[in-house]
Amino acid sequence: MNPDILAGMTQASLPTSLIATSIGVLFGLIVGMIPGMTISTGIIVLLPLTFVLPADISIALLLGLYVGGMTGGSFSAVLLNIPGTPSASATAMDGFPMASRGEAGRALGVAITASFIGGLFSFLCLYLIAPLLAEVALEFRTQDMFSLLFFGMTIICSFAAKSLVKGLLSGAIGLLIVTIGQDPVMGTARYTFGDVNMMAGIHFLTAMIGLFAIPQLVENLIELKNGKAAEQKQAKLGSILPTAVDLKQMRVPVAIGSLTGAFLGILPGAGGPIAAFISYDYAKKASKQPEEFGKGSVEGVAAPESANNAVTGGALIPMMTLGIPGDPVTAILIGALMIHGLAPGPLLFMERADFAYGIIFSFFWANIFNFIIALLGLRVLVKVLATPKSLLMPTIGILCVVGSYALRNSFFDVYVMLFFGCLGLAMKWLDVPVVPLLLALVLGRQLEEYLRVGLTSSKGDVTIFFTSPISLSFLCLSIASVAWSFYSERNKKPAPS
Amino acid sequence: MKRKNIIAGVVLIFFSLGYGYLTSELPTRTLPNTPDPSFFPWINTIIMLVLSTSLLVQGLFFTEQGERSFDAVAARLIAISLALFFVYLLILPSLGFVVASIPFFAALMMLFEERRPVWVASSSIAVTVLLFSAFRYGFGVLLPLGVMEGLLP
Repeated sequence: MNPDILAGMTQASLPTSLIATSIGVLFGLIVGMIPGMTISTGIIVLLPLTFVLPADISIALLLGLYVGGMTGGSFSAVLLNIPGTPSASATAMDGFPMASRGEAGRALGVAITASFIGGLFSFLCLYLIAPLLAEVALEFRTQDMFSLLFFGMTIICSFAAKSLVKGLLSGAIGLLIVTIGQDPVMGTARYTFGDVNMMAGIHFLTAMIGLFAIPQLVENLIELKNGKAAEQKQAKLGSILPTAVDLKQMRVPVAIGSLTGAFLGILPGAGGPIAAFISYDYAKKASKQPEEFGKGSVEGVAAPESANNAVTGGALIPMMTLGIPGDPVTAILIGALMIHGLAPGPLLFMERADFAYGIIFSFFWANIFNFIIALLGLRVLVKVLATPKSLLMPTIGILCVVGSYALRNSFFDVYVMLFFGCLGLAMKWLDVPVVPLLLALVLGRQLEEYLRVGLTSSKGDVTIFFTSPISLSFLCLSIASVAWSFYSERNKKPAPS
Repeated sequence: MKRKNIIAGVVLIFFSLGYGYLTSELPTRTLPNTPDPSFFPWINTIIMLVLSTSLLVQGLFFTEQGERSFDAVAARLIAISLALFFVYLLILPSLGFVVASIPFFAALMMLFEERRPVWVASSSIAVTVLLFSAFRYGFGVLLPLGVMEGLLP
């Protein structure tokens, strides 16, 4: 066996890594099931704790949270008809009707089993595809890397935005923010106003805490005051383990969900919710009893649940091999790796192949623990749904402050976090998506670096971006992506006033 | 016409112009055939100006479905939450994490409609002490001690 694979497997199977993975899964299940908490927020809250941990333990913890969060979302979707995460929205359509007729445990058993199979399938895709893709990506030169990053940004902007202009504006604001501090090529101070704190630039973590957590806290408060916070009447669980008949019924929808999820996960920007709804639709079309969908069908729960967990492994493929995030969570994971001095991308497989395989096998363990903890701990875990927001939200508020302070033991970062909180609220008010900004914060510096280094190496000749076939392909894809978004937007809105 | 887009468009145009002005003030390098530090910011300035103008045009000539609006209650809640955070940050360095966080936590709990005084007090103290111990002694984060300097290790 390849020694790097063996080293990665050993690293991920160390007791410390396994404990971190299982804690991450447990935390993820809790975060996922609480309506109003997203996986992104959970990771951001947990990220400061990882500063003191070694990189492999940190990533095992965060991967556990990612996988657990995807499954946790289905708990509240089934029991309360409130999806804990957007990815669990499709699960509620059949999960809640099942719970209403006294089969909540069965629905959750099906959801957990489907998540497990979807997750394992995406692990196989990750294990088989990622090293091959990384090998191809090693051939990329500076201009190709620039075009690849450019493509990643345009595709996220197109997917994330209800309005193309607003999505692109969000990305442009992010690019503007990354120019604060020392420039990546010559080290010249830019927009620092003579402040030493500004020299290091805006740390993406402080920005992320502000952009995600503060608006979420305020939104929960507004919902509570407006009486929109749903009355949480929980259905009884009953029997949990799926029967042989259930397993037989799950075969086709789980296969559809796993394939759809893993494929859409690889595409930057698609994410769990889209995969869940598409696989639900395909499963309905392939079903012998499509009329049962929406009324509490086992197939209707299995398809989206396998899809949203299959997305996780799929999204890790472009993240690990190209340094391009597949969804907001993987964008944050890239940031987490950067904190530990590791840059995801093709070089990760060349320089730290053992670590890269460690990530892959940690993902495998995360799926195993997710299945075990979710099934065995379900009856205890669902009690978390009764946690009052009045206790949860102030805790998040304090963690926002501590998390941004812990980065450099500096109050400057806390003020920056609050500034981004205000920016996040303003963006919410204007319906401007936050994800493109987040992506620009993570990728912007590299984008500038590759652009300038590429131009320097070609003595200012911009045609290098068009003469390289790889670069040209990515640029064409970028244009196609923006054009498609523009076309879609024109077809749906706006209407002349 | 959508007022929010118009306001945002105008604000962003002025912001982009300000950014452009600051970019023009950046030092230039004389290395041959090398894009200088203002190269990327100039691209940003142009992109920002084009997109801000597009947003303004959209606001002036088009409507948008599913408009989100914050009513007066929401605006008040946002202002109160941010004010709480701001006051907390002001008192945090001098009073220290434990002393400043307990009233901040209690205020947030009450904002989330928790009215039981004993529960508010006990939760505020318990969560603050727990977080302080975990971060300061567990994770080695130097959370400020403030007035408790000398009382706590």
